[in-house]
Amino acid sequence: MIQLSKNYSLPERQEEPIPIKVVGVGSAGSNALDRVLLDGMDKADLIAINTDVQSLASSVAARKVQLGRSSTHGLGTGGDPELGYQAAIESAEEIRQAIAGARMIFICAGLGGGTGSGAAPIVAQLAREAGSLVIAFATLPFSFEGKRRAAQAQDALSRLNEIANAVICFENDRMGDMVAPKAGIHQAFGIADMTISQSVRSIVNLIQRPGLIRIGFDDLFAALRSQNGRCLFGFGESDTDNRAHDALTQALKNPLMDKGRMLSEAAHVLVQVAGGPGMTLSEVEILMRELGRHVRDHTQIVFGTAVDGKMGNRLSVTIISSLASEDSIAAQDTSPPPAFLEQVEEPPPAPPTIDIVHESESAASLEPAPDDLIAAEAPPPPVPAPSIKKPAPRLIPPKKKPVVEKEAKPPKEKIVQAKQEVLQFEPVTRGRFEKSEPTIVEGQDLDIPTFLRKNIRVK
Amino acid sequence: MSNSDLIVGLEIGTSKICVVVGETRPDGTLRILGVGQAPSRGVRKGEIVDFETAMKCVHEAVVDAEQKSDVMIRSVYVAVAGGHIQSFNNRGCVILPEERDEIDDQDVEDVKINAREVSIPAQNAFLHSIIQHYHVDGQDGVLNPVGMLGGKLEADFHIIHGVRTRIQNTIRCVKELPLEVEDVVFSALASAQVVLTQHQKNLGALVVDIGGGTTDYILYVDGAVKQSGALAIGGDHMTNDISMGLRIPMARAEKLKTEEGSCVLGNCLPGETILLKDDSGFAGKEIERETLNTIIHLRLRETFELLKRTVEEEPFINYVGAGIFITGGCSLVNGIDHLAGEIFEMPAHVTHAQTLSGLTSAVENPQFSTAIGLLRYAQAVQVDRPRRGITRIFGRFFSGMR
Repeated sequence: MIQLSKNYSLPERQEEPIPIKVVGVGSAGSNALDRVLLDGMDKADLIAINTDVQSLASSVAARKVQLGRSSTHGLGTGGDPELGYQAAIESAEEIRQAIAGARMIFICAGLGGGTGSGAAPIVAQLAREAGSLVIAFATLPFSFEGKRRAAQAQDALSRLNEIANAVICFENDRMGDMVAPKAGIHQAFGIADMTISQSVRSIVNLIQRPGLIRIGFDDLFAALRSQNGRCLFGFGESDTDNRAHDALTQALKNPLMDKGRMLSEAAHVLVQVAGGPGMTLSEVEILMRELGRHVRDHTQIVFGTAVDGKMGNRLSVTIISSLASEDSIAAQDTSPPPAFLEQVEEPPPAPPTIDIVHESESAASLEPAPDDLIAAEAPPPPVPAPSIKKPAPRLIPPKKKPVVEKEAKPPKEKIVQAKQEVLQFEPVTRGRFEKSEPTIVEGQDLDIPTFLRKNIRVK
Repeated sequence: MSNSDLIVGLEIGTSKICVVVGETRPDGTLRILGVGQAPSRGVRKGEIVDFETAMKCVHEAVVDAEQKSDVMIRSVYVAVAGGHIQSFNNRGCVILPEERDEIDDQDVEDVKINAREVSIPAQNAFLHSIIQHYHVDGQDGVLNPVGMLGGKLEADFHIIHGVRTRIQNTIRCVKELPLEVEDVVFSALASAQVVLTQHQKNLGALVVDIGGGTTDYILYVDGAVKQSGALAIGGDHMTNDISMGLRIPMARAEKLKTEEGSCVLGNCLPGETILLKDDSGFAGKEIERETLNTIIHLRLRETFELLKRTVEEEPFINYVGAGIFITGGCSLVNGIDHLAGEIFEMPAHVTHAQTLSGLTSAVENPQFSTAIGLLRYAQAVQVDRPRRGITRIFGRFFSGMR
């Protein structure tokens, strides 16, 4: 059966890749972009945008846009976001041309400086106006770079949050944890670039790669949807004997995951497992079971899997999620999981849910690939829009089915478990001390395991 | 090398039997010549439960030590442990005769005997009487009263005693081999000799020796032993807990404890597992790391809390300035110093025998602290009194025991 579905879905997807552009804004952005290119990216166009001609010239991106020819005269902005903003406004037309025709735009920018903080929101705005989906990858400066820069970065981040469909935020301070204390500073910055590159590439792959259980824009946005939340991202790849376990461990070690601890607070987790033709069902099963231990029982796991001949012996895991702020978690918990049909039937009750509908809806409109016209219409979605969406689920039934099942089961089990009293069937024994003289102190036989005496469940 | 320079320490532990051979140098330093050891069987909680098996194991360890150090072992110092060992402080008093006012050696001996004239349980025997301080006519803190003038000599002693038959069992086990037993030493007292420096003893320190079957402790304040004792809880209990909690065999649990165990909670990934492999490499059971650590943590926490309550029965713990020194095999558990520090609210260190020459690899293993400590103890006793003296003390301590 697997063989069959692979046969009919594989060629279909490969013929029509979704047009994606990756834009690097500012020096940090173009550094990240260079890294993306050097790591290998053939499924998207890369564009470098900067005020500084020197930095732009050294970039390896195929297309380059110089900002503010007359306002900065080819120099940098000197860390002034206002200047970066002016320059971007001045060159708006050029930017518009460069990003035209993309269905999805990734913006990489280092916030805190002039060009990144000033121009990135404008680029995002122009991209949204052109009808593209925008995902921003923003780095926040190291704390030692000063409070001023941190404030500028926060300012730009909140603007990006308003404009972009999703913002994945990397804190440079966290990258520091990944670098050995003795490593040079360039390595610390390099790690940040590498992490961004990894995220960009894996998201592009996620969307472009033909999938058995495909992950689409809608799933991606469900996972990233959170207002001012933190994005969690993890990527792991392995080709060892125990590759399922190793890849997951590696993915969880990503600094954005905080060793996987953060996952336990996420409401939605998107997981894609990709591998060569040799990937087995049991491997995926092991991996998902292991991942299941890291998330809460009512967390919605959006699962996708893809077989890619280029992967060879390797198996990769991509985990994307976001931590919503407290109130939105509550809202999501009470409302049913935002599967397509349910959203259509139910009028959105609270402001956050309107956001949800808006985003996943615009994402979904892009989902049916053959028609580009719908994409152009999508961005201004009025409230009655959901009714138009009814045909959408019909297009992708094989993908949605397993997901819905997954969502539905865990919460039920959890409720039952929580109410059931656990009976201690184990007789109190003393194990190897059975025949020795008991050690009785303060009325307790200390030979009996502490956890039994204190009634602490260890499993 | 004359035979009298040779000192051998023997510790019959719950998990292993260990023999350390050392020689004293003319300059007073101690050099380790060899360490022999054998896994211990027939010992539970520091006491011999299966005489024949334990004897075989002791023999194995002694032969091992003889081979490694290339000497013949004739006599040994033996460490004893076990939950039966207790201690208390007592003051002895001697009034000098009218016609004499200079204190001599005999008075010091008499005051010691006087201090021991207290009632201990009938089945118990004295193990050590350790001098704390002398008082001459009410003058405090006299370290050596011999030659001083005074009418009344008092002395504070720390007295350690244990159940006679159980100590005898240990002695008999060694004597049957046959080896001569030079002295029997409480294991924590032995460990403290090499773990602590004189400075640390003066500052005040608590030595906790967590072995396989027992947790022994000794507390120094102002350079003198103030408290000591043993709890019959040790690494074996931890292994047993793991074995029962995770439902795995004891041998597996022991391996897991030493290789993966830690008593720090919340330090591993949620859901992080350890894959148990058997000898053939077949991946068997998966075990959650946090579960393992929780079991270890709970047991160690309980042990430390119990120990804290025990030492807090007397006020001396408040005068400890150097902190806690943890030694013994269980001190190798990750994070044990943090846990001890947290519970006792004072700095805690994991230590091993210090300032010795010779086989440093052996010295640096906290598992051997007690056996090496025996050498230092023996050296101190020998310097104090020549050989004749030892047999005298020994004869007095254990008369009727052999």
